[in-house]
Amino acid sequence: MASRKESTSVSSTAMASTGGTLDSPVKQIQIDGLVVLKIIKHYQEEGQGSEVVQGVLLGLVVDDRLEITNCFPFPQHTEDDADFDEVQYQMEMMRSLRHVNIDHLHVGWYQSTYYGSFVSRALLDSQFSYQHAIEESVVLIYDPIKTAQGSLSLKAYRLTPKLMEICKEKDFTPEGLKKANIGFEQMFEEVPIVIKNSHLINVLMWELEDKSTVADKHELLNLSSSNHLEKSLQLLMDRVDDMSQDIVKYNTYSRNLSKQQQQKHQYLQRRQQENAQRQSRGEPPLPEEDISKLFKPPQPPPRMDTLLIAGQINNYCQNVKEFTSQNLGKLFMAEALQGHN
Amino acid sequence: MSRFFATGSDSESEESSSADEITPKAPGATFKQSLLLSDDEEDTKRVVRSAKDKRFEELTNLIKTIRNAMKIRDMSKCLEEFEQLCRAFLKSKNIVDKEGIPPFYIRLLADLEDYLNQLWEDKEGKKKMNKNNAKALSTLRQKIRKYNRDFESEIAAYKENPQESADEEEEEKEPEDSGSSSDSEGEVSSKSFLKKKPEAPSEATKFLKTAKGSGDESSSSDEDDDDDDEDWGSDQSGSSGETSDKEEGKTSSMSVLFLKKAQDTEKLGVRKEERKKKPKQKERIEEEAEEEGGEESGGGWEKVKGGVPLVKEKPKMFAKGTEINTAVVVKKLNEILQARGKKGTDRAAQIELFHALAAIAAENNLGQGILVKIKFNIIASLYDYNPNLAAFMKPDMWKKCLDCIDELLDILFEHNNIFIGENIAEDSENLAVSDQPFRVRGCILTLVERMDEEFTKIMQNTDPHSQEYVDNLKDEGRVCGIVDRLLTYLENKGSTEEICRVYLRRIMHTYYKFDYKAHRRSLGLQGETKSEQDQEESEGEDSAVIMDRLCKFIYAKDRTDRIRTCAILCHIYHHALHSRWYQARDLMLMSHLQDNIQHADPPVQILYNRTMVQLGICAFRQGMIKDAHNALLDIQSSGRAKELLGQGLLMRNMQERNAEQEKIEKRRQVPFHMHINLELLECVYLVSAMLLEIPYMAAHEFDARRRMISKQFHHQLRVGERQPLLGPPESMREHVVAASKAMKMGDWRTCHSFIINEKMNSKVWDLFPEAQRVREMLVRKIQEESLRTYLFTYSSVYDSISMATLSEMFELEMPTVHSIISKMIINEELMASLDQPTQTVVMHRTEPTSLQNMALQLAEKLGNLVENNERVFDLKQGVYGGYFNRDQKGGYQQKQSYQRDQKSYQQKQSGYQRGGYRNQNQGNY
Repeated sequence: MASRKESTSVSSTAMASTGGTLDSPVKQIQIDGLVVLKIIKHYQEEGQGSEVVQGVLLGLVVDDRLEITNCFPFPQHTEDDADFDEVQYQMEMMRSLRHVNIDHLHVGWYQSTYYGSFVSRALLDSQFSYQHAIEESVVLIYDPIKTAQGSLSLKAYRLTPKLMEICKEKDFTPEGLKKANIGFEQMFEEVPIVIKNSHLINVLMWELEDKSTVADKHELLNLSSSNHLEKSLQLLMDRVDDMSQDIVKYNTYSRNLSKQQQQKHQYLQRRQQENAQRQSRGEPPLPEEDISKLFKPPQPPPRMDTLLIAGQINNYCQNVKEFTSQNLGKLFMAEALQGHN
Repeated sequence: MSRFFATGSDSESEESSSADEITPKAPGATFKQSLLLSDDEEDTKRVVRSAKDKRFEELTNLIKTIRNAMKIRDMSKCLEEFEQLCRAFLKSKNIVDKEGIPPFYIRLLADLEDYLNQLWEDKEGKKKMNKNNAKALSTLRQKIRKYNRDFESEIAAYKENPQESADEEEEEKEPEDSGSSSDSEGEVSSKSFLKKKPEAPSEATKFLKTAKGSGDESSSSDEDDDDDDEDWGSDQSGSSGETSDKEEGKTSSMSVLFLKKAQDTEKLGVRKEERKKKPKQKERIEEEAEEEGGEESGGGWEKVKGGVPLVKEKPKMFAKGTEINTAVVVKKLNEILQARGKKGTDRAAQIELFHALAAIAAENNLGQGILVKIKFNIIASLYDYNPNLAAFMKPDMWKKCLDCIDELLDILFEHNNIFIGENIAEDSENLAVSDQPFRVRGCILTLVERMDEEFTKIMQNTDPHSQEYVDNLKDEGRVCGIVDRLLTYLENKGSTEEICRVYLRRIMHTYYKFDYKAHRRSLGLQGETKSEQDQEESEGEDSAVIMDRLCKFIYAKDRTDRIRTCAILCHIYHHALHSRWYQARDLMLMSHLQDNIQHADPPVQILYNRTMVQLGICAFRQGMIKDAHNALLDIQSSGRAKELLGQGLLMRNMQERNAEQEKIEKRRQVPFHMHINLELLECVYLVSAMLLEIPYMAAHEFDARRRMISKQFHHQLRVGERQPLLGPPESMREHVVAASKAMKMGDWRTCHSFIINEKMNSKVWDLFPEAQRVREMLVRKIQEESLRTYLFTYSSVYDSISMATLSEMFELEMPTVHSIISKMIINEELMASLDQPTQTVVMHRTEPTSLQNMALQLAEKLGNLVENNERVFDLKQGVYGGYFNRDQKGGYQQKQSYQRDQKSYQQKQSGYQRGGYRNQNQGNY
């Protein structure tokens, strides 16, 4: 366990170096072990399959470091308690926690994910509203499946300032996005995470490790089931399909647009000619007409979804790449071992 | 006092009855009467009756005045009386409600309207009318039109069947009835002589008379009037009795009873008298005819002068004295014909007139020419009898029609010197007996075709599950006989076009019938049961030979495309029905009908669909599962097989089509005896789909691009899967679904037991003429396809499998197993090789894993994505002159996709290698 923790912290510190370039108020996130365990427990108890669990993160900001010291889950929604007031519940919860002297500052939320699929409109919207209200808030994405395979996967994301701008203006047209010069890479920024425990806990851990009877043997060369890969591929394929559809939509839109442009152009030309003729005949020119009324531009398809899909695809690809590279390494190691034998 | 009155009325009635001969009443009536008399509780009823009588009497009186006014054409009087009548009728409304509208009232309304219309149409007569009268006429006409709208159905009923309504009246035993019924009675009996339109004609004679100003008292119509008068008298007396002592219900009712009784007897007396009158009437007719004949055109002149258009329908026969020759008869015929198609012409009477004319012509030996001509007209008017296209002939009419056509054909066969044709002009007809051959205008072929259509219509309109249908179907033999006779006749005399047409009729009656005799002969059997023997006798030649001969003639000679198309389709159908698959298929392919059948008219399309279905079923019987499936696909995939085959309307798009369309569609329906069993059709389709689809599904389990062979079959499978509780299969579909599931597992025995069992036998398989052979074929197919499915599904489990085992499992011979597996290997469906010495199949295990499959799919999808993306880019780059660019791009993209294919192929290769690598690994461990 400790080694695992270390590995995550190592990787997160490695990320922290990249995180330094971020121009956001939060440059690092420090999570208490308690929070991690609580999130894991929450999913274990309530989440199944592709279902998603969510909760609130509590903590405080120290300089450019966000410390998450506690969390509590959102209750699972069912059909019959539609009138359940979430805000009320949150306030109630925080008040209660405050009574027991726990940090009660709302610093973001967490969400579980199914094979790394989390880049969605819903996440964007809620993160936007969080970040809009509380500038420092983050979203923690917890991947239970990867965790179950042995490597804790917990990632913190924030919306980039650029995206915040766009969301504020609600301008998702192609032009708007073009002007903002945003790609799927610049939508979310990942904030490095450090998991920190109190010294007392660390001591306890060491002691437990000594006492633990579990054989410290890892099946190093186990090519964890290809099921994971298949699932990822399937999800990836679905997204690719969506992407294709979006592109086709966009295609028709742009074709319509250009056609209309042409028509407009022709119309204007004809008009000019006529006016020239009239002028030569000494008649008054035709009155100006509202061209935009004559040629209503086609409704441009919102591009935000496409961006999100692209982001999601990217995410999947990263996942698959990570997975395969690990497996490949294992395969080569196995080959070497065999040769050695 | 009451007694006195009662007796008074009694005597009155007796008086009136004494005028006639009293005869015993009908037993039923007497019984009822006596019952009424003896019953004490009758009192209330009697009172009601008397009130009713009173009202009705009032009405009848008014009606009488109106009729009188009509006779003298006093329109203003008519109008006045009519208004009164309306009021009186309104007053007696509650009685009418109880008793129903009195028929005499309806009759008056109908007659009045007819009369007025006739007056109205007679422009000349109207001019002559004085102003008052003319005005009254127009008001009355409008009034009665409006008024009659309320009684539309009753009037229509009356008009349709004046006799019947008159009869009904008789049964009702209204006191007033005796008069009117005797009136109608007179008509009925006189009609057979007179052939005149009931009621109106008699009036017409009256008008004629009045116009002529000669009161011919001896005419029967006047006699009727006399009767009427008497009746009225008696009624009046009765009513006077009633009115005087209304309170004295009993006596008055008694009087009424007596009165009624008396009138009943009187009525019967009248009837009897009628019988006596008959000869008298005959005389009268002749007298009248003489009158007419004597005056020749003079009578006609008078009529015109009189301005009564009714004269046209005046009963006409020839005077005794006139020499009945061809010219006169033809003239008469034309006269009758002129009334044809006009409103208010009684079509039934017209037919009668024709018959009478034919009889006269025959009596006077006017030769066959005229007889043929009259027959033509009789048949034509029989067809005309129903004004509505949708309505079908009544059985008696139909019988008459068949008889007539038969007779006509008899004449035509007997007399070789009659030329008939539709292109013979009226004036160039030669009807008189002479040395020259007869020339008659008319087309027997058209008549027979029409008859055939009528037959179809009758069959369409009969409930197919009733005895009536069977009875009607028996006429098919006669129809066929007539067609056959016509065929022989036209083969000698007709033009090729006509022969083609009649041949097509013959074909249409032949193509859908299974030739049991020929079938048995081909099997080398003799008819065993009696019914089979009967059938054997009824069919002379092999229907195949007949079909062949007729169709080939049509192919060679026909110039209209439609007949040839129909003939080809029928020919194919017939071939298919008799399991001559190759002939049928070749004919279908050679005719190229599939390419342009969508331009044909709907009946031909229906025939085409029927043919395709039959072809498919034939292919199935021959074991050509794929052909069967392809042939049936179009019909079955739409889910509208019923509609496409013309075997019923679908309720689904009821709201889309209006009544008119529905009528048209109904007319297109194929009669029940020609139907193709839809369940059989569906079963054949589903089973062939199963035999194709299940191995295919097994072979392409992981293929994302897998297309469905049969959507319908998949639909059935899904329906089967959705079932929450799976019981033993009940319907045919469930059987097929259950069998498919068994087949998926390669379990041919279960599959077999689901497809062929008692239920399915009785529902489907026994319907085939060679049921046993079909079943054997089916079992074999199931075995083979199950073997294939088994190999597809479980090849990954085996390293090798011995063919002997397979042959045992599927109860197939070794060579068959060998050939099936070889075929699969050659088609690269099964990655394996045969090991000859050990007789085993060695699997290669080269099927890509699901992950690899997935990767391939993903690659493909990404390819699509890139393509789409490039298109966007395209648009951005070159806004103008897109087309050339597009084409070029298309080529480029194609090339790319080709490359991609290569890539995916490489991927596949690498996948295999990797698989091999893994295998190696495993092997080493």
